[in-house]
Amino acid sequence: MAASGLARTPLLVGAGTLLATVAVAVRDPHVAGSWGACPLHLLTGLWCPGCGGMRAVHDLTHGDLAGAWGMNPLLVVLLPLAVAGWAVWTWRAVHGRRTQAPRHPAWAWSFLAVIVSFAVLRNLPQLAPYLAP
Amino acid sequence: MSSTDPQDPATPAPDPWRKPETGSTSGAAPAPVPDAVQPYASGPAYPSGEAYPSSPAYPSGAAYPPAPTYGAPVQHPVPGGYPPAQAYGYPAYGGYLPKNSYAVWSLVLGILGLVSCGFFTGIPAIVVGNNAKKAAANGEADNPGMATAGVVLGWIGTGWSGLVVVGYLVFVVVMLLTTASA
Repeated sequence: MAASGLARTPLLVGAGTLLATVAVAVRDPHVAGSWGACPLHLLTGLWCPGCGGMRAVHDLTHGDLAGAWGMNPLLVVLLPLAVAGWAVWTWRAVHGRRTQAPRHPAWAWSFLAVIVSFAVLRNLPQLAPYLAP
Repeated sequence: MSSTDPQDPATPAPDPWRKPETGSTSGAAPAPVPDAVQPYASGPAYPSGEAYPSSPAYPSGAAYPPAPTYGAPVQHPVPGGYPPAQAYGYPAYGGYLPKNSYAVWSLVLGILGLVSCGFFTGIPAIVVGNNAKKAAANGEADNPGMATAGVVLGWIGTGWSGLVVVGYLVFVVVMLLTTASA
């Protein structure tokens, strides 16, 4: 298949992610220390935007959407978008079309704004019960 | 000298490229140049411009406008043979520098790596930033400074989080080793 070379990257990414998901589903990150610790949290005690992400993925693989939302709401929102984006990427690659990250810089800066504001908001005491693990 | 006239093999035709001899001609134009070697003669040799198909026959923006060469007065607008900006795959920002976004993404990932994500976005920042610098060197982007910033931030983010992870692993190993003997 002529496009198989192009499809190799998204398929490898998909396979790697699937492997990581299975690992998280099997080895429960709710158990303290089962997967180590977040470097930022160790250093500063703050919640980084990814904190609770592994626990959220574990909950999702076990069907616990509410629990996942309690762990990391941003991830629960972004995960379907990421999966859809990967599916589009793979589909295009199989049909021989290259895909670029969104080209207009507004996409990149908006992404940064969302992540940073989430990181700031979830560390505020008033919002921590809703946004932090 | 072989004859240049295919219809008259017996008599040698005058070589049109030979330098005209001086003083030995009969007064007629020396080395008469047949019309065949002047294909761009204007006037009667070629039909005038109206006989040529007009603009619709040529795609707009044709790269080789033949009009002036054949003396035809029909002037096609010659924009240099390129259609407008759409050919470069719009968007307007970084219009014909499509790889400008590499450096922007590198900087975004680098900032995230510096302040929170560490090597998770730091390593992609380094990779994308180096690709951005290569693109700038190839003329496909004009923001190598931003690319360098992304790479630097990527390294710093990878550095601090890598140190923490290594330190944590050393701590765990030390704990395991020292408590095992208890």
